[in-house]
Amino acid sequence: MVRAATLGFVLLVMVGLALPGAAPAQTKDDTIVYALQSDIDTWDPPGSVLREAIILGYQVFDHLAVRDLKTRKVGPNLAISWKTIDDTTWEVKLRQGVKFHDGTPFTSKDVKATFDRVLDPVKKMIARGNHAKIKSVEIVDDYTVRFKTDGPYPLFVERLTAQVMESEKVIREKGDEWMQEHPVGTGPYKLVSWNRKQEHLLVRNDDYWGPKPYYKYVRVRIIPEQATQIAELLSGGVDIMKAVPPDQMDVINKSGAARTATSPILRTAFLQLDQAARSGPNPFTDKRVRIAANLAADQDAIIKHVLNGLGDRVATAVNPMAFGWDPALKPYKQDVARAKKLLAEAGYPNGVDILFNEAPPTVEPGTQQTNDAIVAEMTKVGLRVKRNYIGDNTVVVARAKEGKLGPMFNWSWGYYSVFDADAILYDIFKCGEFYAYYCNKELDDLIISGRSTLDQKKRTEVYAKAQKLLFDEAAYLYKWGLRGVWGISNRVDYSAPPDEVDRMFLVTPRKK
Amino acid sequence: MRRYLVRQLVQLVVVILGISILAFSILHIIGDPVTLLLPQNAGKEEYVRYKHLMGLDQPIWIQYWKFATGAVQGDFGRSWYGNAPAFRLVVDRMPPTIYLTLAGLGVALLIALPLGVLAALKRHSFVDTLCTLLAVAGQAMPIFWLGIMLIIIFAVRLRLLPASGYGTWQNFIMPAFCLGAFLAPITMRLVRSGIIEVMNMEFIKTARAKGVAERMVVVKHAFRNACIPVITVLGLQFGQLLGGAFITETVFAWPGVATLTVDSIRNQDFPVVQCAVVLLALIIVIVNAFVDLLVGLIDPRIRAGA
Repeated sequence: MVRAATLGFVLLVMVGLALPGAAPAQTKDDTIVYALQSDIDTWDPPGSVLREAIILGYQVFDHLAVRDLKTRKVGPNLAISWKTIDDTTWEVKLRQGVKFHDGTPFTSKDVKATFDRVLDPVKKMIARGNHAKIKSVEIVDDYTVRFKTDGPYPLFVERLTAQVMESEKVIREKGDEWMQEHPVGTGPYKLVSWNRKQEHLLVRNDDYWGPKPYYKYVRVRIIPEQATQIAELLSGGVDIMKAVPPDQMDVINKSGAARTATSPILRTAFLQLDQAARSGPNPFTDKRVRIAANLAADQDAIIKHVLNGLGDRVATAVNPMAFGWDPALKPYKQDVARAKKLLAEAGYPNGVDILFNEAPPTVEPGTQQTNDAIVAEMTKVGLRVKRNYIGDNTVVVARAKEGKLGPMFNWSWGYYSVFDADAILYDIFKCGEFYAYYCNKELDDLIISGRSTLDQKKRTEVYAKAQKLLFDEAAYLYKWGLRGVWGISNRVDYSAPPDEVDRMFLVTPRKK
Repeated sequence: MRRYLVRQLVQLVVVILGISILAFSILHIIGDPVTLLLPQNAGKEEYVRYKHLMGLDQPIWIQYWKFATGAVQGDFGRSWYGNAPAFRLVVDRMPPTIYLTLAGLGVALLIALPLGVLAALKRHSFVDTLCTLLAVAGQAMPIFWLGIMLIIIFAVRLRLLPASGYGTWQNFIMPAFCLGAFLAPITMRLVRSGIIEVMNMEFIKTARAKGVAERMVVVKHAFRNACIPVITVLGLQFGQLLGGAFITETVFAWPGVATLTVDSIRNQDFPVVQCAVVLLALIIVIVNAFVDLLVGLIDPRIRAGA
């Protein structure tokens, strides 16, 4: 009888050990839970267009350079230093003693393999466009690499923060398909399991070369509905969530269970005016009408009262966090009389009809409400706005690209996390680019000269000139830089990141 | 029986072919997937390179032919996002949706059958009015609103159930109730009117005249007959239920095939959408065939007619 009981016990223990998921025993105290609205499609970050892939990539992989969240400047990471050899050659020194999760040491051949793979034109690597200026990567020794670029490439260092370092051995032996689900990085966390559209479980990399994360486990939960995310935050099922709608901030802050934190983010919102007449003749081809539009609304009041202060007024579309932003340039102030006078001079003493293609609030919170306010004030000066709401952001992006959204539409730009004026000027203002509804030879020359020198002082001067021109020309109707809102559980300490990349390895328990 | 099966099979092929052509054309009309797939800052050169890599620079009929020949052999191509086989992505996400749908169906029947019978037997009474009220309220209540209300009450305030997620039996309660509440009203009304109609028939009078107990009259004679329209309608409602499953899945972060399909439509991930649409159509056609058979099983008259 005793023997039977012992046998039963042994069997039970064996079954218990064999059960999947029994291995990492996580408790609430050593686990941080992060909510995302949608899941990534691959764990191979250069193969994905999604912001979520960048964020998760930061937990598991390392980059050659990273942004310091306090100074917002790019500093060393897996690279310890970089310098230019000549106008088209960068030399990068690598950190020694770094290991991938599978134990192989990180050396210059991993850097070369990573970039060679991304730049391969027959591979479907989404990130290729980011690095197309790089012509080749050469190994000098185990810890030194040289990058040859196609002409001077001032964004080189910025772009290093956008490329994760993957292992040469994995690329060679395992291949693209395997890498989709098995990230082998050098980062602070390792992937334990991934249930698509449901959850990721990460565990701390105890061999990490840098400061070790406080929490042993990170659970990333995919919760598509924002209301559900907030409910989870308040009931303790989630510790950190991003993109809290402004009207829900009060609910979180009064709950006693969580709080909100905001940070300016690298995204500027504006209304594009079709100066280039891409969608046909319209009043905005006349500079006086564009200036009148900029003078119509009291935007400081809109930011304060409609957006609850979640915006930073800007003079042009260049974000205050971007390199080259000119603090001396002051934004347009509301001036109804002058706006009316300019309209009359332009030949519209009795006002004029304007079609406004409105976008949903997918990337810009409160779009509807701020549009209401701006439209009301534009109508008062004689710009009679007819509103056409487009409910799906996908459609907005596609039609903007085809040049069909003129004469006026909602737009905002996130700079692809490149903190540099070039990252907006080229895509949004350079004549002939997909999203540019403005065309001016003088500006194009400035944009080109800004990206063809490595001299940062000269670039600052060029961008100051470009911003002056954009302001005087009133190219678009300029609005504000956005602020992100995060929901944070009261059991942890965490600061909202200005680059919108949440780093779970920086989360610590809340100090009492 | 053989003729019946052949007819069903032909119908199946026609439906699937029609659906796949329809889905294929609609996807191509709504826009260019390459613009969505690439980052907004990707240049024109990248655009052309991608279009070629994805085979989208070929004429549309060639693209369809490639898809169709692959699909017949079970190869639906690879997802453009993440580059995994579309079939695997869809099949992996099927079980959660099927469990949720079945659980929702169970809840709907649990609510609808007793209340429907009760309302029919106590026609025009207080109970009947109450049931009608419940049905109207249930029908009028949007699923997402009910879902969020349930979360606020049971997860945030009472902390009895997990607010969202998948995996344990507690996770099933709120979503299943939500979906059940969506289907229950129409079922209840059908049961009620079915019973009322049957109760007036001659054979019920005969049964009563034979001296059969009233309980047996209702359960054995009336209910069985009233079931036939209910089963038929439930079969037809199955597609509706999958639509309801999408909303329920979104609110409760349920990792099912409905959200996968809608996400893929939004991304214009053709291979995944095609695969999901074809498989879902297959399921609906099979469910309907099954319902036909079931009705025949319950009602010998239909069997004789077929």
